[in-house]
Amino acid sequence: MKVKVNGIELELAPGTSAIDAVFAAGSDVPYFCSHEYMSPVGSCRMCLAKIGAPRKDRATGNWVLDEETGEPQIFWFPNPMATCTTAIMEGMVIETEAEEAVKAQRGMVEMTLINHPLDCPICDKGGACELQDRAYEYGEGISRFEFDKRHQEKHHQLSELITLDRERCIHCKRCIRFFEEVPGDEVLDFIERGGHTYIATVEEGLESNFTGNITDLCPVGALLDRTSRFKGRNWEYEHTITSSLDDASGSAIVLDSRTGRLERIKAELNTQVNKLWIDDSTRFGYEYVNSSERIKTPLIRKGDNLEAASWQEVSEFIADKLAKLAQKEAAIVLRADSTLEEGYAAKNLAKILETGQIDHYPRQLASVIPNNSASLNDLASSDAIFVIGDVSQNVPIVDLRIKDALKGVAPPEMFEHGVPIADLRLKERMIRKKEILTVAAPYNVDLMRHAGQAHIYEANSEEAIFKALTKIANGEDSSVAAMSNEQAEALVKRLNEANNAIIIYDGFSLASPAAAIAARNFANAVGAKEIILGQMANSYGLEAIQVLPSHERYGYAEIMQGSAKALIISELNPANNSQYAQNLKELELLVVHSIFENETTALADVVLPAKSGYEKQGTIVNLEGRLLEVNAAPIDAGQAQDFEFLAASIIAALGKEGKEDLASLAHKAIRKQFGVDSKKLDPEGDLKPLKPRANNKAKLHIQSTNIGNALIVPTMLRLEYIDKNPHLLAERGAAKLTMNSIDADANGLKNAEIVSLDVAGIKRSFSVQIKDSVPAGLWLIPALPEQAIGLLELDRASLKKELEPA
Amino acid sequence: MMDTKIQAFFADKQDLLSEILERYPDYGQRSAVMPLLRAVQDAERHVSELRIKEIADILGISATAVKGVMSFYSTYHEQPVGKYHIQICSTLSCSLAGSDEMYDYLANELDLVNGETDKDGQFSLQKVECLGSCTTAPVLQINDDYYENVGKKRCKHLVDSMRENKLEKPWRERKGDHEGAEKAKPLQKTALKGVS
Repeated sequence: MKVKVNGIELELAPGTSAIDAVFAAGSDVPYFCSHEYMSPVGSCRMCLAKIGAPRKDRATGNWVLDEETGEPQIFWFPNPMATCTTAIMEGMVIETEAEEAVKAQRGMVEMTLINHPLDCPICDKGGACELQDRAYEYGEGISRFEFDKRHQEKHHQLSELITLDRERCIHCKRCIRFFEEVPGDEVLDFIERGGHTYIATVEEGLESNFTGNITDLCPVGALLDRTSRFKGRNWEYEHTITSSLDDASGSAIVLDSRTGRLERIKAELNTQVNKLWIDDSTRFGYEYVNSSERIKTPLIRKGDNLEAASWQEVSEFIADKLAKLAQKEAAIVLRADSTLEEGYAAKNLAKILETGQIDHYPRQLASVIPNNSASLNDLASSDAIFVIGDVSQNVPIVDLRIKDALKGVAPPEMFEHGVPIADLRLKERMIRKKEILTVAAPYNVDLMRHAGQAHIYEANSEEAIFKALTKIANGEDSSVAAMSNEQAEALVKRLNEANNAIIIYDGFSLASPAAAIAARNFANAVGAKEIILGQMANSYGLEAIQVLPSHERYGYAEIMQGSAKALIISELNPANNSQYAQNLKELELLVVHSIFENETTALADVVLPAKSGYEKQGTIVNLEGRLLEVNAAPIDAGQAQDFEFLAASIIAALGKEGKEDLASLAHKAIRKQFGVDSKKLDPEGDLKPLKPRANNKAKLHIQSTNIGNALIVPTMLRLEYIDKNPHLLAERGAAKLTMNSIDADANGLKNAEIVSLDVAGIKRSFSVQIKDSVPAGLWLIPALPEQAIGLLELDRASLKKELEPA
Repeated sequence: MMDTKIQAFFADKQDLLSEILERYPDYGQRSAVMPLLRAVQDAERHVSELRIKEIADILGISATAVKGVMSFYSTYHEQPVGKYHIQICSTLSCSLAGSDEMYDYLANELDLVNGETDKDGQFSLQKVECLGSCTTAPVLQINDDYYENVGKKRCKHLVDSMRENKLEKPWRERKGDHEGAEKAKPLQKTALKGVS
């Protein structure tokens, strides 16, 4: 379609909004309510332009021509139009610089500022405020309004994480639309009307996993992130764009740091992964990096005490000890969110130490890399989705992309100016195609609210379910646990007939190789792509580059049970498990690379300060197989270093340095394995389909235990750091032990009671949460990094009541 | 969790509930929020938080969304209004015709100010915007009925009758006739002459 914007002729696709036509022409128009990825509603009336279009004669079907020029006559709309809600028409003429348009825009700025307090000097948004910028660019500079401004509550705490300043709100409705349109949790709304309108919730707090996004999309300083409130001005922050290591999505984030402290995390655009959204754990779960309890120097054991030392000193000490070991006696374990570079460094160190005892954890028995991987944009345009597991807690972004698919609107085409500012296909309160989504899990998961079919099955029956469904797909008779025959057949039929069917599964299915194979077979049988939810940010990458025990022999569990004489362990705390603590004590050398002191550092011979995921430079592979860059923000972490530095120091002290340093070895290895230059990655990442590792035949028949009375479940919160994230802790509370009221009554437990419990060797403290949607007899326990998810047998006699609820 | 002591409003009104819900298609069930709120408001003279939650649960939407709709309309109340909810039009025509004096009189007489309800739950006094009956200003709306051309005498008369729980049916003002509702007059041929 041909349109003319401020004299520039453009050819644009039908359905394009006038505001995008304006930006496509390189012009600008102010707007507050429109937002990429949300429905245009035209509530701020800011993007006004003079718009006209030619008209066809009804009788002849020909253009009505201008008598003087002989060209089609332009019929102007009687009033300035909001460009965000206007679709382009053939021959449309849009003028943003016409006198009427400019006057209308000025009027709107003046009107918007009538009740907006001019407290920019003390406003956290100051310097990064859309209203401030637009008022400067498009405003008159003076106001004719000489009365008192509206006064409302200035510090309304919506939750522990978000504060609302009701005076600053300009009623653009972005936050309200966000909750309804994106996560589908309608927790905010306008209350009252006209000049009295304010934003509020009736529910307690904001019940959603994505609340923080409203602080990003608020065009003024009304919704503010409490973790960063009053901490710094926008122009003082160093902005570092990186990928989050919080979960397996690798969501794009911006780290705002200042004077060596990380002060705020905001979402960054990655059109392929997280769009513009991140979950609350990714956003608010950073405060621990500023903790005064961080280990900032290397420590070496002198008798009962750990004393500060230099990296050089401790490296030499470690090298001395290692040199005395025979081959295969040393072990190296990384946490599964270490970067590829750290993974290669660990492999190189293992090679020098001549040991195959190397692993990353948490890691499941089966491969986390699917055979026929779907990207997140595939997922967003899928027409049949089968989820088995808990997506929302594992990788919350996948939950959001599933909800995109339910809207039935494929990811938008990009313009030169980026994502469409007003995607007219999106509407408020769209009818969701719930029927395309089937969710099954061993307990009631959040996504079930949005699913056409939801099934709660008995824990650990994933293998049986996939096998039964495969039989049905192959035309045999079978019955599927927790589903009726009609439901199972309808599911198989839907997946079979869909153009873009996707099956999503997680650690519950990976806990037994047989279940994982069954899942893959079912995906093949119905021609579906797969998404497997890894437990941590680089589970994919570390498996792909094989930071794995040779021949699957001496993995994490075996190492902890005493298969090695020396252990170098990064960012894991295995000594929290009493079953492992004794073995760790008996080691000849225990090197612990950690951010904080814990049970394992207490046993260590050497403690080395570790960098957090916000301080590292490197590469990760997300759950799609996308290589993403991780960048370091300038955070003061003392002498903390990543594992690559640690390995290099030890190798140097051993005198085994090669011609090339570890960094260039890793760079080469990534190029060889993935075919990309890790220093020149696409800002949105490079998607490289990976192949799963072969199942180890010896372990093929290992079934995760079939009996159990407790399920380790995924949690979006990083429980190892939650105590040092005060805001997130206040909002989300301590780790929850969730059970049915029958179990609670049998044990005399009340809601919110604090208890301690021995979870397969790890003594943990929980707040009891009673939910009747949990099957009776099954207790749900959120995972720690030292405990992969799955079923286990709990010694319920170890339950101790610590504190009655208030 | 719902207080089990207070019965759900629609628990014994399933016929009414299904009649209301049937008016809307499956995908538009949330539109039933208005008639449901109205049913509660009419019966209980207010919509409590408990009822908001009940309506939200019936429609499968959040309580916040119900509250958003409810608070938009001035005709739904968070606090119970009195048995007689007196609404005084305070827009231009009524104001010129003496609604301010009427408000002062009522406020004095009932010992209430704008927005208040008395202890016994008998009277509520509220200033409202234009009731759309400017030709018969000043207008009082008592519950759902209009009382037109309310002078001091009539106002006193109304208050007295409400105190005795004997509120008269509303009258219609045209030619000083206040005997019952105004009836439509049959069309007269003479009136049509000029038109044809």
